[in-house]
Amino acid sequence: LSLSVESDQRLCGELRKHSWSGIPREVRPITWRLLSGYLPANMERREQVLKRKRDEYFGFIEQYYHSRTDETYRDTYRQIHIDIPRTNPLIPLFQQPTVQEVFERILFIWAIRHPASGYVQGINDLVTPFFVVFLSEFVEEDVENFDVASLPLDTQRNIEADSFWCMTKLLDGIQDNYTFAQPGIQNKVKALEELVSRIDEDIHNYFKRNEVEYLQFAFRWMNNLLMRELPLRCTIRLWDTYQAEQEGFSHFHLYVCAAFLIEWRKEILSMVDFQGLLMLLQNLPTIHWGNEEVGLLLAEAYRLKYMFADAPNHYKR
Amino acid sequence: MAYAYLFKYIIIGDTGVGKSCLLLQFTDKRFQPVHDLTIGVEFGARMITIDGKQIKLQIWDTAGQESFRSITRSYYRGAAGALLVYDITRRDTFNHLTTWLEDARQHSNSNMVIMLIGNKSDLESRREVKKEEGEAFAREHGLIFMETSAKTASNVEEAFINTAKEIYEKIQEGVFDINNEANGIKIGPQHAATNSTLSGSQGGQQAGGGCC
Repeated sequence: LSLSVESDQRLCGELRKHSWSGIPREVRPITWRLLSGYLPANMERREQVLKRKRDEYFGFIEQYYHSRTDETYRDTYRQIHIDIPRTNPLIPLFQQPTVQEVFERILFIWAIRHPASGYVQGINDLVTPFFVVFLSEFVEEDVENFDVASLPLDTQRNIEADSFWCMTKLLDGIQDNYTFAQPGIQNKVKALEELVSRIDEDIHNYFKRNEVEYLQFAFRWMNNLLMRELPLRCTIRLWDTYQAEQEGFSHFHLYVCAAFLIEWRKEILSMVDFQGLLMLLQNLPTIHWGNEEVGLLLAEAYRLKYMFADAPNHYKR
Repeated sequence: MAYAYLFKYIIIGDTGVGKSCLLLQFTDKRFQPVHDLTIGVEFGARMITIDGKQIKLQIWDTAGQESFRSITRSYYRGAAGALLVYDITRRDTFNHLTTWLEDARQHSNSNMVIMLIGNKSDLESRREVKKEEGEAFAREHGLIFMETSAKTASNVEEAFINTAKEIYEKIQEGVFDINNEANGIKIGPQHAATNSTLSGSQGGQQAGGGCC
C-alpha cells in the first residue's frame, strides 16, 4: 500500500481499490488527503500544493473571519456558535475550547464561501472525521481524549486547514443536500423508498401498514450521512470506502442506507406499532459496532448496488 | 397499551431554546445539559391521564434552523397541539414568535391548540424577556402560556398536560372532528368499543381500528 501511495495517477486507481476494504490507521491521513482530491497524486507537486492550500485557508481567515460579527454574517455565526458545543457532546475532544474554535472557523469560512446553501445543521458533523483522522497522525492512541492545545501551533494549523479543504471537497459532491428545500435529500429518501420496495417488500409494506414514512427516519440518515446512527470510529471506516468509491457520498451512500435498514429487518418486523417502529428507527443499537459490522454492511451495500442499480423492476429478490 | 385518545403534538421555536430538552424531560424525566442538535424531526411519546382517561401523546420535535423549515412544515398538518417555545434569556427568540405563529397558523388545522412556552426559567439572572411580556403575547394571540425549565422540570408536565386538557375540552365541546385524522386526534380502540357516547353521534365503531 505504501508503494501505491507514493505513486502516479494509474496507481491512484490501485489506491482506491486497496482502500475500499478499509485503510490501515498509519496511512489513513495521507490516503484520505489523496482520495478526497485535496492532494495531487503527483509526488513532486504535493508539498507545494499543501503549502499553497494551507496558506490560502489562513488567508481566508485573515480576510473574512472578523466579519462574523457584521450584520450580514451575524446569524450564520451565531448558529454555528450555538451548534459547536452540541457537536459530539459525549466525546471530550470536542469540548476543548481550542477544538471548538477550530470548528467555528472552518464552518464559518465554508458557509460564507457557499452562499447557495450556507451553513445547515448536520454539516458540523461532517468536519469531525477529517479532524480526528488528521489529528491521529500526531496521537499514539486515544484521540478522543487528546489535548489538542498541547500540539505545536503549526501542527494545529495544518490539521485545521486540511480538515477544511477535505470537508469542502466532500461537500462539493453533495451540495444539493443543503440548498433551499434540500432537494438532494428529498430525492435520496425517495430513491431509498423505491429501492427498499424492490429489495424487501415485507419491510416496505410493514411501514406502509403502520403509516411510517421514510422521511421520518431517513432524513437524518441523508442529512448527516449516517453519522448520527453510528459510532465515530465506524463513520471513519465507512468513509474509507466512500472515498474509494467514485461517488461514495452522493450515490453509494444510498445503498449503504438500504443495507443498513435491512440489517434491522427482524427488529423492525417485531415492532407492533408506529410508535415502536419510530423509537427503534431513531435509536438503532449500533453502540457496540466496529470494523467488522461496517465491513459486512458495505459488502451488502455493494451487492445491492450491483443487483439493483438501474436493474429492471422484475429483478426482485 | 390501551388508550382513550391519541393526540399528536408538534414542538416548534428557534434553535437552541430547549425544545428537545423539554421533550426529554417530559418523556424520560431527565435533563441532558448538552443535547445533540435535532436534525429534521424527532419523535417522542408518553401516556398521560386526563379526567380518568388514558391519553397517548405522540410528539414531533422539530429542528429550529430555518433551513429545515420546508421539512418541518409538513408536520403541522395532523397536529392537534403545538408547543411554541422561546428562551427567556434570548430576546431574539421571543421576537421571532410572530413569524412562528404565522407559519403555524398557515399550515395547521384551525383548531390546533397552541401553548406558548418561555423556557429556561431557572436562569433568572440572565432573563431578557419578562414573564408579563410572554403573558401579554399569549393573551393577544389567544394562546395558553407557561414558563418552564427543562433543567429543573418546573412546569414541564403541566405544559404538556394542560395542552392536552384544552384539546380534550374542545373535543367535548364538539369543536374537533375526531374522525378526521388530519386534526391530529385518534380514538383509541378501547374507548371506541366501550364508550361511544363521548365521541358523539359518529359513534366510534371502527374509528380506532388500526391505530394500536
